[in-house]
Amino acid sequence: MKLLKIALKSAWNRKASISLTMFSIAISILLLLGVDTIRKQAKDNFINTISQTDLIVGARTSPINLLLYSIFHIGNATNNISYPSYQKVTSLKQVKWSVPISLGDSHRGFRVMGTNSDYFHYYRYADTQSLQLQQGEVFKDVYDAVVGYDVAQALNYQIGHNIVLSHGIVATKAGEHADKPFRIVGILKKTNTPVDRTVLVSLQGIEAIHVDWQSGTRSALRISAKKARQMGLQSKSITAFMLGVENKITLFDLQRKINNFSDESLLAIMPGVTLATLWQTMGKFEKVLMAVSALVLLAGLIGLLTALLTTLNERRREMAVLRAVGAHAYHVIVLFVLEAILVVMGGVSLGIAILYAMQVIMQPIIAENYGVFLSIKMLDSEQLVILLAALLLAVIFSLIPGLIAYKRSLQDGLMVKI
Amino acid sequence: MTKAVIQLNNISFRYSEQDRDVLDIADLQVYQGEHLFIQGASGCGKTTLLNIITGINQPYAGEVQVLDKPLQNLSTIQSDQFRVDHLGIIFQQFNLLPYLSLLENVQLPCWFSSRRRTQAVNVEQSSVDLLKQLDIPEALFNKPANTLSMGQQQRVAVARALIGKPDIIIADEPTSSLDTDNRKRFLDLLFAQADKQSSTLVFVSHDKYIAQYFSRVIDVSDINRASNHTAMAS
Repeated sequence: MKLLKIALKSAWNRKASISLTMFSIAISILLLLGVDTIRKQAKDNFINTISQTDLIVGARTSPINLLLYSIFHIGNATNNISYPSYQKVTSLKQVKWSVPISLGDSHRGFRVMGTNSDYFHYYRYADTQSLQLQQGEVFKDVYDAVVGYDVAQALNYQIGHNIVLSHGIVATKAGEHADKPFRIVGILKKTNTPVDRTVLVSLQGIEAIHVDWQSGTRSALRISAKKARQMGLQSKSITAFMLGVENKITLFDLQRKINNFSDESLLAIMPGVTLATLWQTMGKFEKVLMAVSALVLLAGLIGLLTALLTTLNERRREMAVLRAVGAHAYHVIVLFVLEAILVVMGGVSLGIAILYAMQVIMQPIIAENYGVFLSIKMLDSEQLVILLAALLLAVIFSLIPGLIAYKRSLQDGLMVKI
Repeated sequence: MTKAVIQLNNISFRYSEQDRDVLDIADLQVYQGEHLFIQGASGCGKTTLLNIITGINQPYAGEVQVLDKPLQNLSTIQSDQFRVDHLGIIFQQFNLLPYLSLLENVQLPCWFSSRRRTQAVNVEQSSVDLLKQLDIPEALFNKPANTLSMGQQQRVAVARALIGKPDIIIADEPTSSLDTDNRKRFLDLLFAQADKQSSTLVFVSHDKYIAQYFSRVIDVSDINRASNHTAMAS
């Protein structure tokens, strides 16, 4: 205990250089834990975004692209699929349920998704969770909208608010569907999926706002909101659809059947398989990032070693005094090890503190820009192992200056004449 | 007859890289309670002699007994422990750890030796008393050691050497960084305190002027046969 007190006070005496070393270790710990946290969270997020959906079907493109635009709302569909094809596929006897998805519009930076009420019934995330309304109800009318949690939060929306949708992903004044405003009838609970950042309307609503549009611009022939409602609109095309099968055994058969669909080129993917492929691709980058972070940590620890070695000469007298008052030569080693532990523990605590502070600050920003929802968690066992390894390595490193000082203090004895 | 606390018997010592002895002493006795002044020009083996008495270095021949304990039988760790238990040591300068307060500096030997701790009875009180007796202003007690003047630092070092009543005080040129006035005052205080707890004092210096205050004076070159050889050779 007394030795610890000496180590602490001695370190405090050299606080300027020690705190710099501590800071550099904090930064490397922050980097390592940060990269690890982000990759795990991103994976969790991706994996948790969709569950219990057997197939996602869209126009033929790459499986990853289909997954990204239909579920994660990243990028755009290359092509739509015709509504009759949708009906034809979903009428197959293997299909238990299906939910259509129609994308392409936005509201103040948030994606608008046209679907039907089955979406609320069948969509599952994080294994078994279904969508829950925080307030209000599911859309019934053509011009009803249900907004995700983050949309309501960010724009301060309440039930009854009127909103105007915009054509395309980037909102422009010319692209506004100002003549057909929607009324918010429901706000969803938080799901930590892209649904939070989505405005949900009926397929008829999507059809209604586009009824007087052709090839992306408004035609001269205006049709009022009221008239559009009375037209009893039917979708002509959708972007994609999700489906569940009656019996899992038929899944591969159904997938093949859809991929060979003769009316138009379709692609059916199993979300789990595509997610795994996606993560395999990302896995290489993950490993490179982790390796780089580990090297940065190593550099930080070598910095610690350097700092300890440079103090050897200035501490020579200190060691002789300690020896004269009864410290054994091995106490000298202990002092160096204690100092290393002190610096690494300080660095680790600081690094973790910055990590959590940054998570709190970055959480909304990352969610907004990348659709990845960081949930702030305790350090997992793997991360604790990383920290322990860093500490162990620091102890091993500190034995080098410790042993040098030990040898020296045996040679010097008590009478150092400096 | 007073008892010898340090006995050197036909000891020879050389550093491992040297081919000639630096120390060769037939007989040296230091008696209980005496104030021994060991003088000698620099390089005559004063420091080596202290290293042998304190068990830092071991002679390759002969016997060293401190408090009837043969030092050559002790391991490094045992001899470290023996040193802190029975010896109080004062250096030429920079005796104190700058980051500890005066009181903590004084208490250091008690942190490493239970014998010193026990003999101090109340470590806290005993360190306060010693510092007071050595004329250190009470306002400085909790200040870091590097705020003191050199004279004050050396007196704090005396307090540290004395705490826990060690049998022998070893002082290695403790006055060389002090001016004449401070030197006398330092010696008076050191003698008074050493006598008070009946510690033997072994004082090494090249300063002949202060030799007059000691009960016995030895010149290393008189007893070190190795240095005579060197002198004759040169």
